[in-house]
Amino acid sequence: MRRKLGVPIVLAMLAALALLVPALGGDYYVHVFALVFTNVILAASLRPSLTCGQLNIGHSAFMSVGAYTSALLAKNLAVPFEISLLCGALLATLVGLAIGYPSLRLRGVYFAMVTVAFVEVIRLIAQLWVSLTRGMSGLSGIPKPSILGMTLTSRASQYYLVVGLTLVILLVLWKLEHSRLGLIWKSIGMADNLAQSLGVDIARHKLLAFMLGCFFAGTAGAFYAHFIRFLFPPEFGFLMATNILVYNYVGGRGHFVGPIVGAIFLSLLSEPFRGSPYETIFFSIAMLLTILFLPGGLITLPRKLAELRSWRTASAPTPSPAA
Amino acid sequence: MAILEARELTRLFGGLAAVNRVDLTVDKGEIVGLIGPNGAGKTTCFNLLTGFLRPTRGSIIFDGQDITGLRPHQIAARGLVRTFQLTTLFQEMTALENVLLGLHLHSGKGPRQVLFSRRDYPADEIARGRDVLEFTGLAPHADKLTRNLPHGHQRVLGIAMALAAQPRLLLLDEPVTGMNLDESGHVMDLVRTIRSRGTTILLVEHNMKAVMGTCERIVVLNFGQKLAEGTPSQVSTSPAVIQAYLGTGMADA
Amino acid sequence: MTPALLVQSAIVGVSLGSIYILMALGLTLMFGMMHIINFAHGAVYMLGAFVIYYVFFQGGVPYFAAFVTSMMLLGLFGYLVERSIYRPIKGGIEPTLVALLALTTFLQAAGYPVFGQLDKHVPPVFPGTTNVLGVGISIERLMIIPIAAALVIGLYLFINKTRLGAAMRAIEQDKEAAALQGVNVHVVNGLAFAIGFALAAASGALMAPIFKLDPMMGEQPLLKAFIIIILGGLGSIPGAILGGLMLGLIDSIVATALGAEPAFLLSFVFIILLLLFRPTGLFGYAS
Repeated sequence: MRRKLGVPIVLAMLAALALLVPALGGDYYVHVFALVFTNVILAASLRPSLTCGQLNIGHSAFMSVGAYTSALLAKNLAVPFEISLLCGALLATLVGLAIGYPSLRLRGVYFAMVTVAFVEVIRLIAQLWVSLTRGMSGLSGIPKPSILGMTLTSRASQYYLVVGLTLVILLVLWKLEHSRLGLIWKSIGMADNLAQSLGVDIARHKLLAFMLGCFFAGTAGAFYAHFIRFLFPPEFGFLMATNILVYNYVGGRGHFVGPIVGAIFLSLLSEPFRGSPYETIFFSIAMLLTILFLPGGLITLPRKLAELRSWRTASAPTPSPAA
Repeated sequence: MAILEARELTRLFGGLAAVNRVDLTVDKGEIVGLIGPNGAGKTTCFNLLTGFLRPTRGSIIFDGQDITGLRPHQIAARGLVRTFQLTTLFQEMTALENVLLGLHLHSGKGPRQVLFSRRDYPADEIARGRDVLEFTGLAPHADKLTRNLPHGHQRVLGIAMALAAQPRLLLLDEPVTGMNLDESGHVMDLVRTIRSRGTTILLVEHNMKAVMGTCERIVVLNFGQKLAEGTPSQVSTSPAVIQAYLGTGMADA
Repeated sequence: MTPALLVQSAIVGVSLGSIYILMALGLTLMFGMMHIINFAHGAVYMLGAFVIYYVFFQGGVPYFAAFVTSMMLLGLFGYLVERSIYRPIKGGIEPTLVALLALTTFLQAAGYPVFGQLDKHVPPVFPGTTNVLGVGISIERLMIIPIAAALVIGLYLFINKTRLGAAMRAIEQDKEAAALQGVNVHVVNGLAFAIGFALAAASGALMAPIFKLDPMMGEQPLLKAFIIIILGGLGSIPGAILGGLMLGLIDSIVATALGAEPAFLLSFVFIILLLLFRPTGLFGYAS
């Protein structure tokens, strides 16, 4: 199965990206790729929820919570970066618990609707609580990240920070997916009635997958806040949440590397029109095309191409005259 | 001695009573059949007994403990396990992997082991899984993908998974519906063997031959209420039951 | 809040609630038939309003004709969506939801280049105010109530008194049985999409003269419809009507007191608390 081949290739790609970008590219490329890695964290951390069969369209809300928490703690209370990042992630997780606990017991569609509404709620809170977040004027003056008291001033050093975070998070997610817990999640996604009848507490396990995703989304948000150093509430809205979903679907839902592939591929391709409506148009068309024509996502593309090639050689012995 | 006692079991949907004040008792070691025309409330009963639906009224006592209102996984953990009508299985996994998931319940893994143990199952669990497959006659198909198995085998796999969860009371939801004579005979033999190993059985079925031939006691539902109860010969000769079915299906009992 | 203000916001609330009811009915109909949540409902609301802008305001066509055009155009669009997106996916619920999500983000984003960046306004169709129960209410808002009521009654009659409506009810109860009885499930599903979209378009068309138009204007009504559905229970028509009315009243009164956005926050918090203690919503069935 392709599984054995795909993982080392993707890891090699990630390693290459990690090492080469600051060396080859200028600050602009470092910036772009830092955001790509942020997207990888967001996409991969949504996967456990999706594996459980929960359509979560609110992931960006937790990124927002992590971002604002870390930013405000660091800016207003001079909390060191490591602590503020952790606090951001933890608060995002707590908020996830508050939302997830009542909603995950419901049918999947109710949960999806709650997440969509919730993204709006978080955006509104950030927007209206002007005294805390500066609302629509945006929160600026966020300190740069620091490790053990040393500020990471250069773009390259911040880039390596996010690469490090990404690798650690991916490792944790990988281990979990391949543990017994991961198997339980998968069984819930495949047939939750059956899982329940075999003694699986699906509510608790779904909540766990959800909260784990929230923790990492909060982490990504915290990094983002100290990297971009300016936060604006509408950024973390419905569109970003949908994008994270798109990374998973277009990349492929069937394998761990799916969201990683989707995030890298789509982030890079959409870079020219980042921030404009065309970015969203691009994402939504990619999503629709994938669902209609390549439902397994990009990771199934090699297999599909191979099938196509063998079909063509079997049925077309002579070359066409126009070739 | 009763292993299951349902009293005044009622489930309302809007104003409609799908199950209406049903009393149901199953004694240890019995094979009891639950029958009735379509829409009689049999599946709703099953869902109520196994926690997939909350009773609007009534109580359910399992082995002396009140399980009314408990959730499905809690009920299953106490030894009341069910199968499903349709081929609800983990289609993208092998037969063995399906059964191994059934073993999860009693695998005794604490949270730390759940997180860090490798997904590959330890040898003793695999052995137990293979035993269950052997017992149900599915051993040759252990490593085949479930969705590639013929329908009949998939239904038996459902039973195998339920067995892996070590039930004291097994609720079979239409175990032989849609099977031919051979297959249904084999499955009902299996049911008898399961009982002889100490598991009590309650089953819902439309196949009258299977029900009459295997169950010691039969409960008949109609319009959500208990219509009759007794031995196969009592039930099959009861005029009320025959009328409820209007002769369909009872003819070949 | 003075009594007069209360009465005024209550009446406005009924008007608002009428719109919410139309949105929620469309959603609940599509869910009852096909078990999908139409995430594109908000975008269709927006398109319904923009059709009014171009056909009525720019094109000079009389309002009611434009209104009917809006409903029919978007109803047709709904039917096409069923054919080209829902049907090929062969009814898988999750891919359909995701495809509808993609559709909605596409429509909303495409609105910017297509409709332009500047805010658009549609002048009132029924200008002026009138006195109701001693307070002044804009006639525009008042007119929404009978029009929406007419649509709801029309829907009721259609579902309960026509053969197609009976086919819809049959599919809602048992899709396979209905198909065995000779109902063409595909066509009826397409009809459900068309009706759902048409109702959303009607909501947008009715609100066009009241709020400013922009491509994201459908977002809030969509979320309101979600809240109503959660309150009233998916697939429940009485739940949609009662829930729509309730939310309209609450929104209007609380918004007058505290502002529109805090009102939304409050309704969301209310929903979460409700879900905590009554997981089936107010009228809904067990999950």
